[in-house]
Amino acid sequence: MAASWLSRRTVLSFGVNKLNSFLPAVVQQIAHYNPRPLCLNIKSPYIPCKESEKTPEWQKTEKYERRLFGRYGGASGVDPARLWPSHARLEELAAEEREWHPPMEVMLENIAAREREKEQRRMEREKIIAANMAKMPKMIADWKKQKREAKQKQREEKIKRDKLLAEARERFGYALDPRSAKFKEMVAEIEKEEKKKRKLLKRRKREEEQGTAAAESSQ
Amino acid sequence: MSFTKTTAGKTIDIVKNLPRITLANLRPNPGAKKDEKHRGRGMHGGNKSGRGHKGERQRGNRPRLGFEGGQTPFYLIIPKYGYNANHRCNSVCVFYSSSRRPQYPPLSLRRLQYLIDLGRVDPMQPIDLTQLVNCRGVAIQPMKRDYGIQLIDEGADIFSAKVNLEVQVASEKAIAAVERNGGVITTSYYDPRSLQILIKPVPFLMSGEPIPKRLLPGEDLLPYYTDASNRGYLADPDKVQAARLGLAKKYGYTIPDITTDTFFEMLVQRKDPRQIFFGLSPGWVVNMADKKILKPTDDKVLQYYGNIKSL
Repeated sequence: MAASWLSRRTVLSFGVNKLNSFLPAVVQQIAHYNPRPLCLNIKSPYIPCKESEKTPEWQKTEKYERRLFGRYGGASGVDPARLWPSHARLEELAAEEREWHPPMEVMLENIAAREREKEQRRMEREKIIAANMAKMPKMIADWKKQKREAKQKQREEKIKRDKLLAEARERFGYALDPRSAKFKEMVAEIEKEEKKKRKLLKRRKREEEQGTAAAESSQ
Repeated sequence: MSFTKTTAGKTIDIVKNLPRITLANLRPNPGAKKDEKHRGRGMHGGNKSGRGHKGERQRGNRPRLGFEGGQTPFYLIIPKYGYNANHRCNSVCVFYSSSRRPQYPPLSLRRLQYLIDLGRVDPMQPIDLTQLVNCRGVAIQPMKRDYGIQLIDEGADIFSAKVNLEVQVASEKAIAAVERNGGVITTSYYDPRSLQILIKPVPFLMSGEPIPKRLLPGEDLLPYYTDASNRGYLADPDKVQAARLGLAKKYGYTIPDITTDTFFEMLVQRKDPRQIFFGLSPGWVVNMADKKILKPTDDKVLQYYGNIKSL
């Protein structure tokens, strides 16, 4: 197949390949391919009659005329001016182009706008993230503190409960269930006593303060 | 005939006196030819003839390769990955179930060097997709969503031709390989209609249509072709020059100065963004029968097709 492409004039030059080694390196042989023969059929062209009804419709179209011209050239009898689109058709084409194929500046502008929007969304998101990250140390500290406090409270409560249990144990002589009524009564009693003590303390404090204040004012 | 009695005379004397070698005198070495196993073709159809016992195997009705009895076969269940990842299904119907993604069949530098060495493509002229298709160096199918060729860097080490190359996509190493040898490479866009015309100019010219103007790339591909690092045809020439120097620094070679080259004009030849063929402007009609070019004179037609300044 390859051999049929090579034109006869280069078969000789390729046949003399042995001499290639003697040729200077600059000279390079280039294949000249025989082009496939164009069967234009100019001698007996078929040019359909436009007026007759027998010719099929598709042979009366502009496209077919252009094909005739392309194949037979001037001998086809086609006016070369009909090869290009008419003014009406040009208008249509121009409108189509304006709609579907914007010029490069417009396209670049669109691309730039899209990029800017993307960039802006990204920046906003980054800002939110940065702001939240800045709050993070404080939030971490708060959380840790909260946890510590909760733990401490828990520990204190445990101690208190243990103390109450021990008190109950002492009083009643056996391990009392904390949910029972007796236990609760006992707790209530202890509370009352504590309250009274606190009140007495307060009163004494106030009296002392009043006493010292009177002593100072009298002096 | 292989015994040698070298005592009295030479082997060659013996051989000279032996009869001529013909097919009747030749025989293969024992064990060289093994008899072919004949399948049974006897009166009652022979024995099983290596076909097995009953079933699809013997009756020749096995399903297609890859079928797994109804279970979704391996070749369908494994997802596509990498090169073919985002291409959707290949089916017979072209227009609404296959991938619309632009495809670029590869052209390696090794293949290009091979074509140049064999003289199939002429490095003294700008190398275009038309030239490559003329020498049957690439096979491209515009109807199968091929938008052109991509230059890949296989053979970048052995590539040593100075060419003015125009492809559609090029990898960075390939660009470096071309420029290192003092060549010029450009990436340009051809829309499918222009591409079909470019690869098969003669059938188009026989249709008598005026040469259309090449469309600009869409918004997806425009950033690629306006980028100087891809040597896009819409990029700023100064940036392209800067990119050439940058690439030379990156890969560690010196760019030969092409302005002093004998083929400088040929290397600098480039197409207008709206031009499909070198030397032919859109709007012209090329007639093969009369061997003439017809150019329009009407203003509106000229305005539509644009006028390329260099022609």
